[in-house]
Amino acid sequence: MTTKAQVAGKMTSRQRVMNALNGLPVDRPPVANPTSVATVEMMDLVNAYFPEANRDPEMNARLAATEYTEFGFDAIAPYFSIIQESSALGCDMQWEQKDNWPTVRMANPIWKSSRDVKVPADFLQHRDITAITGSIKLLKQEFGDDVAIIGKTMGPWTLAYHVFGVEPFLLGTVDDPDETMAALHRLKEFTVLFGQAQIDAGADILTLPDHATGDLVSAEYYKRFLLEMHQELAETFDVPIILHICGNTIDRMPYIAQTGMAAFHFDSRNDPQEAMDAVNGGIKLVGNVNNPTTLYARTPAEVRKEVYRALDAGVQLIAPECAVPLKTKAENLVEIPIAVEDWAAEHGMI
Amino acid sequence: MAIQHEGLAKEFEWVTRPGEQKHIGEAIEKTDALMQELAYQLILGANTEVGRLTKEALDNGYTANQVLDDGLLNGMAIVGVKFRDNVIFVPEVLVSARAMKAGMQHLEPILSASGVEPIGTVVMGTVKGDLHDIGKNLCIMMLRGAGFVVHDLGVDTAPDEFADAVEEHDAQLVGMSALLTTTMPNMGRVISYFEDVGLRDEVRMMVGGAPVTQEFADEMGADGYGENAVECVDRAKELLVLLKELKA
Repeated sequence: MTTKAQVAGKMTSRQRVMNALNGLPVDRPPVANPTSVATVEMMDLVNAYFPEANRDPEMNARLAATEYTEFGFDAIAPYFSIIQESSALGCDMQWEQKDNWPTVRMANPIWKSSRDVKVPADFLQHRDITAITGSIKLLKQEFGDDVAIIGKTMGPWTLAYHVFGVEPFLLGTVDDPDETMAALHRLKEFTVLFGQAQIDAGADILTLPDHATGDLVSAEYYKRFLLEMHQELAETFDVPIILHICGNTIDRMPYIAQTGMAAFHFDSRNDPQEAMDAVNGGIKLVGNVNNPTTLYARTPAEVRKEVYRALDAGVQLIAPECAVPLKTKAENLVEIPIAVEDWAAEHGMI
Repeated sequence: MAIQHEGLAKEFEWVTRPGEQKHIGEAIEKTDALMQELAYQLILGANTEVGRLTKEALDNGYTANQVLDDGLLNGMAIVGVKFRDNVIFVPEVLVSARAMKAGMQHLEPILSASGVEPIGTVVMGTVKGDLHDIGKNLCIMMLRGAGFVVHDLGVDTAPDEFADAVEEHDAQLVGMSALLTTTMPNMGRVISYFEDVGLRDEVRMMVGGAPVTQEFADEMGADGYGENAVECVDRAKELLVLLKELKA
C-alpha cells in the first residue's frame, strides 16, 4: 500500500528523517517512531506473530516493514520490545502471546552486583541479538536508500532494572551510589556492543531507551548517574542517537539537551510546547501522540489534533509517544503521516 | 504547640496543603521526643535506627499501637506527601519503606496477638500478562503505612486469583495495577469476573498504573482510580467509607 503521504513527499523518507535529525531542511516533518509500531492487525496481514517475530529475523523484518509500507511512516524500527539483550544475558523471560509484549521477570534477577556483570563470549551470536541484526540487514537490502532504519540498544539504566531487579537496583542507588556507577559502566558495554552491531548491519539511527523516568527517579538522579554516560555514548556511535525515556521528563530535559544526542523521544504526559522550551534548541524532539487513550481508543480526528499540537509547538519528528499498543487500529496510525502532510501543506512546506 | 524535633520540623515544612498541615501537624505535635525521633529516622530511611528506636520504645513501655501511630505512621505521612509532590522519588520511598519494615518486625507480633482490627483489608496484584510491580509495591507500602492490611498477590494475576483472595481474606477492597497498554484491558476482565461470580457488590475495586487514566477506569467500571500511590491510599479510604455506608 502506498499512502497519500508517500506520494506527496519530495524527499525520500530516509533523507527526510536524517535531515531532521541533523538539523537540515526538510520538505515536511518526518514521521518516525523510534520504538515500535508493531500491531496485531499487521501480524495478521504479514503472517508474522509475537513472540516469534521478536526472535526470527525474517519474520521480524516482515512485521517491521509495515511501519513504512502500510502506515506510511518514514522509518522502520525492527526492535519492537526492550528485552532482546536481557534475554541474551540469560534473564528469566516471559515470552507471552501475539497480543502481549514479552517481558523480563524482574522479580528473579540474574545478578546482584557490578562484579557479576560479564559479557558472555557469544553475546552477539545469541538468537535474540541476531534476530535484530539479521532483520536490519534484510531491511537495509530492501529499503536502504528509501527509508531510515532505526536500530535500538538499551541504555545501562534500563538494563540494570532487568538484570538486578527494579527495587534492588533503586535501593542500591541510595545505599551505595559508587557501586551503582560501577554497575552502569559495566552494563554500558552491552549498549555499545549491540548498538555497534546494528550500525554494522546497516542501521542509520539508534534509539537508546534508558528509563530514568520522572515516575521513578529525580532529575538530579539523571544528572548524577546518566548525563555523562549519555554524553559518552553519543560520542561513541557515528550515527544519530535518539534517547527515549517514558513518563514525565520535563524536569530533566535541560540535562537531556546537553547529551549531544540528536533527538529525544518524549511521552504525551509532557506538553510539547513546554518540552520545546525545556530543551531550548539543545536537542530535537520526537513525539508525542498519546498511546493508551488517543491511538488505542480514539478516532483519526483526535489523532490529527495531537499531531497538529506537536507540530504547532515545533516538534521536529512526529511519532507515537512510545511503542504503540498492539491492538491499535491501522486507521489511527495511517492518520499520522496524512496529518503531517496536511499541516505541511497548510504551512507552505509542500 | 510547635513540633519540637528540629529535623522533623524541617521535614514538616514540605507539608503545605492546609488540611494536611492540620491533620499531620496535630498528630505529630501531641507526640514526645522519642516518637518524633522515630518519625524523623523513618523519613531519612535509617532502617537500623528505626528498628533500634522501635525496640527501645517497646522496652520502655510504649504500646505497639502508640509506636505505630505516633512514630512510624507520622513519618510515612510526610514521606507520602513528599513523594506525591515530587520532592522525593521511588528510591527514597523504598528506603523509608525498608525502615518501616524494620520497625514493623518488632510491632507485628504484638499487633497480631492483640487482635486489633485493621482499618481495612485490601488484595492487590498486577493483572494477567503483566510482570511489572514497582507501582503496585509502592501502593502496598503506602496502604500498609496508612494502617491497611494488604495481601500482595504479586504479578501476572488471573481474575480468579483476585476473587479467591477476596474470599480467603474477607477483603473489602481490590487493587489492580498494569504498566502495559496490552494488559490494561485485563482490569476490566477482573471486574467482569467479579460480576459473574457474584462478588462485585461485596468489594470496591481500584485501578492504577502508568497508562491508566480516570477515563479508562470509568469505562471499565472501576470504583476508583489513583494516579499515584498517595492517591491510592486516599481512594482506598474513601471507598471503604462508601462500602461501609452501602452495607449499613
